[in-house]
Amino acid sequence: MNLFALRRQRCISVPMVRHVVHLLGCCLCTATTLAAAEPDRVSFNRDLRPIMSDTCFRCHGPDKNARKADMRLDIREEATRPTRSGRTPIVPGDPDKSEIVARIFATGARVMPPQAAHKQLTAKQKETIRQWVAEGALYEGHWAYQPLKRPAVPEIADASRVRNPIDHFIQERLSHEGFKPSERADKPTLLRRVTLDLTGLLPTSEELRAFLSDNAADAYEKVVDRLLASPRYAEQRTMHWLDAVRYADTSGFHGDNPIPAWPYRDYVLRSFLINKPFDAFTREQIAGDLLPNATLEQRVASAYNRLNRTSSEGGLQPKEYLAKYGADRVRTLSAVWLGSTLGCAECHDHKFDPFLTKDFYAMKAFFADIQETGLVPDRGSRAWGAKLDLPSEAQARQLAALDAQLAAARVRLDEGLVKLATVDEQWENQLRTRWQAGELAWTWQRPIAAHAVNGARLTIYDSEVVENNFYLDGSLKTERKPGDGLVVAGGPNPDRETYLVTLKPGAGTWNQLGIDVVQDESLPGARYARGADRFLLSEIEAELLEAGQPARTLSLVMATVNDAPPSVPSTTTDPSMPPLAAIDGNPHTAWGVRFGEARDPFLAVRFAEPVTTTADSQIVVTLRHESELRAAVIGRFRLALSADAYAWPPIASAGRRIRSKDPTGAKSWASGLPDDVMKALRRPAEDRDEPERTALRDYLIWSSPELAADYRELQRVEAERGLLDASVPRVVTTVAVDPAVTRILPRANWMDDSSPIVEPAVPRFLATLDTKGERPTRLDLANWLVARDNPLTARAYVNRTWREFFGSGVSRTLDDLGSQGEWPTHPELVDWLASELIHPEVDAASTHDWDMKHLVRLIVTSHTYAQTSMAEAISQEKDPDNRLLSHQNRFRVDAENVRDIALQLSGLLTDVFGGPSVSPVEPQGYLAALNFPKREYSASHGADQYRRGLYTTWQRTYLHPSLLNFDAPTREECTVSRSASNTPLQALDLLNDPIYVEAARAFAQNALAQGGKTFAAQLEWVFTRALNRPPRAEERSMLQGLYERNLKRFRAAPASARELLTIGDAPLPATANPAKVAAMATVTRAVLNLHELITRN
Amino acid sequence: MNQLAREISRRAFLGRGGAGLGLVALNSLLHPRLAAAASAMDPQSKGVINPLHFTPKAKRVIYLYQAGGPSHLETFDYKPKLADMTGKPMPESFTRGQQIAQLQGQRLTCLGPTHGFKQVGQSGQMVCELFPHIGGIIDETCIVRSMWTEQINHDPAHTFMNSGSIITGRPSVGSWVLYGLGAETDNLPGYVVLVSAGRGGQMQPIAARQWSAGILPSKFQGVRFNSVGDPVHYITNPRGMTREMQGDSIQTINALNVLEDRSQHDPEIQTRIAQYEMAFKMQASVPGLLDTSHEPAHVLELYGAHPGDGSFASNCLLARRLAERGVRFIQVYHRDWDHHNDVKNNLIFKAEEVDRATAALITDLKQRGMLDDTLVIWGGEFGRTPMSQGGTGRDHHIKGFSFMLAGGGIKRGFAYGATDDLGYAAVENPVSVHDFHATMLHLLGVDAAKLAVKYQGLDVRLTGPEGGTVVRDIIA
Repeated sequence: MNLFALRRQRCISVPMVRHVVHLLGCCLCTATTLAAAEPDRVSFNRDLRPIMSDTCFRCHGPDKNARKADMRLDIREEATRPTRSGRTPIVPGDPDKSEIVARIFATGARVMPPQAAHKQLTAKQKETIRQWVAEGALYEGHWAYQPLKRPAVPEIADASRVRNPIDHFIQERLSHEGFKPSERADKPTLLRRVTLDLTGLLPTSEELRAFLSDNAADAYEKVVDRLLASPRYAEQRTMHWLDAVRYADTSGFHGDNPIPAWPYRDYVLRSFLINKPFDAFTREQIAGDLLPNATLEQRVASAYNRLNRTSSEGGLQPKEYLAKYGADRVRTLSAVWLGSTLGCAECHDHKFDPFLTKDFYAMKAFFADIQETGLVPDRGSRAWGAKLDLPSEAQARQLAALDAQLAAARVRLDEGLVKLATVDEQWENQLRTRWQAGELAWTWQRPIAAHAVNGARLTIYDSEVVENNFYLDGSLKTERKPGDGLVVAGGPNPDRETYLVTLKPGAGTWNQLGIDVVQDESLPGARYARGADRFLLSEIEAELLEAGQPARTLSLVMATVNDAPPSVPSTTTDPSMPPLAAIDGNPHTAWGVRFGEARDPFLAVRFAEPVTTTADSQIVVTLRHESELRAAVIGRFRLALSADAYAWPPIASAGRRIRSKDPTGAKSWASGLPDDVMKALRRPAEDRDEPERTALRDYLIWSSPELAADYRELQRVEAERGLLDASVPRVVTTVAVDPAVTRILPRANWMDDSSPIVEPAVPRFLATLDTKGERPTRLDLANWLVARDNPLTARAYVNRTWREFFGSGVSRTLDDLGSQGEWPTHPELVDWLASELIHPEVDAASTHDWDMKHLVRLIVTSHTYAQTSMAEAISQEKDPDNRLLSHQNRFRVDAENVRDIALQLSGLLTDVFGGPSVSPVEPQGYLAALNFPKREYSASHGADQYRRGLYTTWQRTYLHPSLLNFDAPTREECTVSRSASNTPLQALDLLNDPIYVEAARAFAQNALAQGGKTFAAQLEWVFTRALNRPPRAEERSMLQGLYERNLKRFRAAPASARELLTIGDAPLPATANPAKVAAMATVTRAVLNLHELITRN
Repeated sequence: MNQLAREISRRAFLGRGGAGLGLVALNSLLHPRLAAAASAMDPQSKGVINPLHFTPKAKRVIYLYQAGGPSHLETFDYKPKLADMTGKPMPESFTRGQQIAQLQGQRLTCLGPTHGFKQVGQSGQMVCELFPHIGGIIDETCIVRSMWTEQINHDPAHTFMNSGSIITGRPSVGSWVLYGLGAETDNLPGYVVLVSAGRGGQMQPIAARQWSAGILPSKFQGVRFNSVGDPVHYITNPRGMTREMQGDSIQTINALNVLEDRSQHDPEIQTRIAQYEMAFKMQASVPGLLDTSHEPAHVLELYGAHPGDGSFASNCLLARRLAERGVRFIQVYHRDWDHHNDVKNNLIFKAEEVDRATAALITDLKQRGMLDDTLVIWGGEFGRTPMSQGGTGRDHHIKGFSFMLAGGGIKRGFAYGATDDLGYAAVENPVSVHDFHATMLHLLGVDAAKLAVKYQGLDVRLTGPEGGTVVRDIIA
């Protein structure tokens, strides 16, 4: 038996002991000894249901396929009628005639449950069943499925420790069981607790001082109101909601690429901030798109339906994945809103609750109208299916202006075109002749020098042999051959890098410069870059050096890349990284390639004026990588020059240079014509098809000097528009289409079409929707979820909310209020809170219906919440899990908050509400086991390093290791309850993760600067902030010892101090004394590692 | 430090019989565990299953996971009749109504084995000639030629192979074993994952989910040891901090936590203190453990390992070092077996990367007397079609493929099960993924049907609700 089973066993057996053996009445009790009305009678819900659910219902319960011997025991009518064999399972009042009693006391083959089930009843359990039958075998409905009625608030004798009705429910039970509520926690503890719970951050020392000096009766309530109004409150509540709806920033299957979702996260943030009623919150997420005159906000909310994991794996079966996506939606909805395990019914009727397989698929049918594909593309314009653009007003205005400019530029180009000769024989002949004569050739350059500014090492391979490993057509090709001008970057890999390459082209006149980016398997960034998932070339510059003359800057005017044939308008694979960005003088924009897995991008840039070189002239080419994305730096490249202003950038196959197909074989240069044009030229004009004719015409436009200015202008506006467009926030959204057919899938087999089609419906035992004959919609579903007579939604929500303030739910199984879930310790409290959530008693006008803040305020202003967490001996002994809440609980703060607290204390925390997700530093190589594309993590810069954990990019298959270490869920599936582990990996993280070292250092700097003159004063400053209390004498002496020992060490080894202090990006004041700051940083680091710091008390 | 602090730190840090900064513990883990040879099988365990359901035959598992789907037709499943059929249509009787991946809707043409096979070992089994080293140890192994699975795309197929379920959030095989049996070391994680670097373009993405503890407590999850950067995340002291300083800091932190414990009596504090001690020990043990450069030259040569290269060969050697030190479950991933194109040439590369290392691991374990109680598993998430894809490649295939097992109570020099004449479907003694899991657990002394955890109110059987049957015929 495992630990969990043991616990379960105890929960079941203790009431039996008490009941059967008539032990000490109320003194012997544990969490599950419920508000027992009549201690001598067996209660079905309290005593029988847990036993029968665990041991009988699997074979004699709701699942008709699993049912044995035609016997059903979960319904009284069934259990009391004779079965086919003629025996009657239960004869109320007569255990001796009841088959089940006979069988549970039987031995050998007849015993129930059978040996094979590995479920044995204890003697006490058997006795309980016998007594229950003797007492009339009265059934009770399962609590969570009963209609919700507001229970009366129980009277209690001693109301001295009562703040609101919650305390009545808790204390009535406590007094019944012989316990007393604890006293209120001291003010610092209380402030720290409520601030952590409501905001995930610590109270500041100013807040602490203000609270301590406020002696008003409602001082605490004022604090609560202040916290509830804070954006930090919205962030904290959002964090938990995101677990439930499994919000993430990547798709979760296979290549796990980024998915545009964060505007949905911001919708949740805003909803909690404005305290949106939970019913509206529900409707908007599930059916925001279906609301009458849906607002943009509501359509953003409907992204909820698209947060499931999706796959872009080639060769997947769309039908299979659509089945997966649909099932995921049912599981999530059922756990989050219904607190139910409807997911179990995907393959079979639920074994313990009255959910049928048909119910599962009928629920799935509600989502059949969502526009989606099984294979969800993760790149290109169709990426992620339906999306919403969310431009700001300024962005929308600018886009409109650029669209007008674009239209005008097109008109000008068209007008120019009219005056131009069309594609004709003469032009073609000229073109062919020029090409054959090598006039359109690109001449590869063998640089005479190459170096990098920030530390990388550039090696030029001319005749030296170099190994190339490239991936082409499904297999790895390896070749070793002379480099022929290849430049390879090695050594240090700084985030930003600039290459200076000197060419000596010999005598000639040049009109274009070409950069051939060479892919290689050794490069982690999509095979091109030394990091990131792409390369980003911010700027290309060129200078001409002539002996005895000052360097002359060569202006660059036109940029064309070989990833598409010429066209009007010009095309680029990714408008957010247009070629022109490499010569626009703006280091914040860049040309780049992200998903170009099997091509070698070649960028051609045109000189404004022809450049004439002599035998000794040198051209210095500067390649700047200044992007925010770290290490998006080209790893291997070649440079080329072309004499012709309109030589097309050559298409080179991966890793190899394709030579001209000149039949004489004498020339060795790269082709300067697009493949499509070559193809068209080889064919007689009358045989050409439309694409070939278009290719010729587009090339004519691209290569006509008369149109160059107009074409350039068009390209400029397009680039500007592309860059602006890329900065417009986007989010996946729900678009309703004709509903797909939904069938029951026998045993979830997606290939089996033999079962009936189902229409949308909610589980039949709960309700039947009246939609006047229309097919029920997601909006009907949402309305039902938050209908007054839905018994589950409010109970599930209240129970889950309770956990955030006590460490566990009133029923600990947050995702299963059903018959296998834990019976709540205080069912009436759940019902009262649920009633209060739906419609507060004081509020006749229903303006606070479904008021989430009201619920939270009720909880945190109760005495129960405010109690000290110190347990009395009796509670430790009799109620070790504190299920009766005779005191508060202590628990570790959530993963994101571990980080938030350290950043807050250090003063580094960036206080920004919402916005795109950010990427805190993470260990090198963490994404190395990902592919499609091959990539390396690029951390954010500056203030974005120090955002709250909530805003961390949620990479499902590789969640940030620090979040994972502290039990943040990957959000591949819905999670309504996080575990709280305590592992050595957490210790390593807090000790050595650079963010915590940096935080400790910044905290130390501030302590030295602001904490006073003496170590004692500084330590007090640190403690007041971190632990909201002064240090005890022993603590001070231990930490002073640590400080002095380390001060000595750092004075002896000043270089070590500087090493420690330069971890992270935060600046170190020039005036700082390194040894002192470093020694103090070891003290603050110790404080950041204290159990007390990350414990909410 | 004052008297009290000294007393506290003694209690917290050294109080468990050590002699100064955990030196005793350090000594014991810097040297390989010598107890391996004396492998008296003990049904007592350190996990939740205690005693074990059966006397175990294996104490630990090394699982050489070949991700992407190795072609059984170019490794262990010799199909001369398929060779005769090359270029001919695949008989429809084999394929009608069946799931295929990228070949969906295409004409199906047979592709015979692209490499020859040889009869090897005293057992005379047929093994692809690209794998001479494995051929050399074939008498130590059992080839299962009748595996089948249910999932045809990589990601779900990995999840299914590793957890017995396609629903995300179920615990992985390694975490079952760690949960059930506990670890033999408290200086290292009990479940370690090594992902090999290698050449090749179609490298499988391997989600961290594959070694997740799912619904089990997270301490049972696999810990990935990295071949670049820190071998374990955050294992290295911050720049500028020596080990002595780190020890001093940890000692102070723990002393402060002890103080807190005195006033709060929170069992979590005791755990926290113990975890800081273990973290400090891991900081000493892990880097040395992963540094294979001190292995004798003949051992490096045996594996074909170059210390620090992160290759599959180096990871096989590391797996042996981890096994020696009491790690319960070690998974070594090779990520490059997805050969939709050019299976012939791709297999040559792959054989170079895994043949020698796989054989070396088995040889090395045997020489050290560890093979008897170490179960070695070699296999992927599915096999590949006997039909060609694009003329030279093979698509994903779930109806039949091969696994190689050795040691840990497995019958030697023996092949089990068979696919049909064309290598399409497992027709003789088919072994499902659940059967494989049940057999693995059985060898470790665990009844798969009884390995369960309470979750969502249910006793969730870790190996999945369907369960599997122990393949007794392959057990020695």
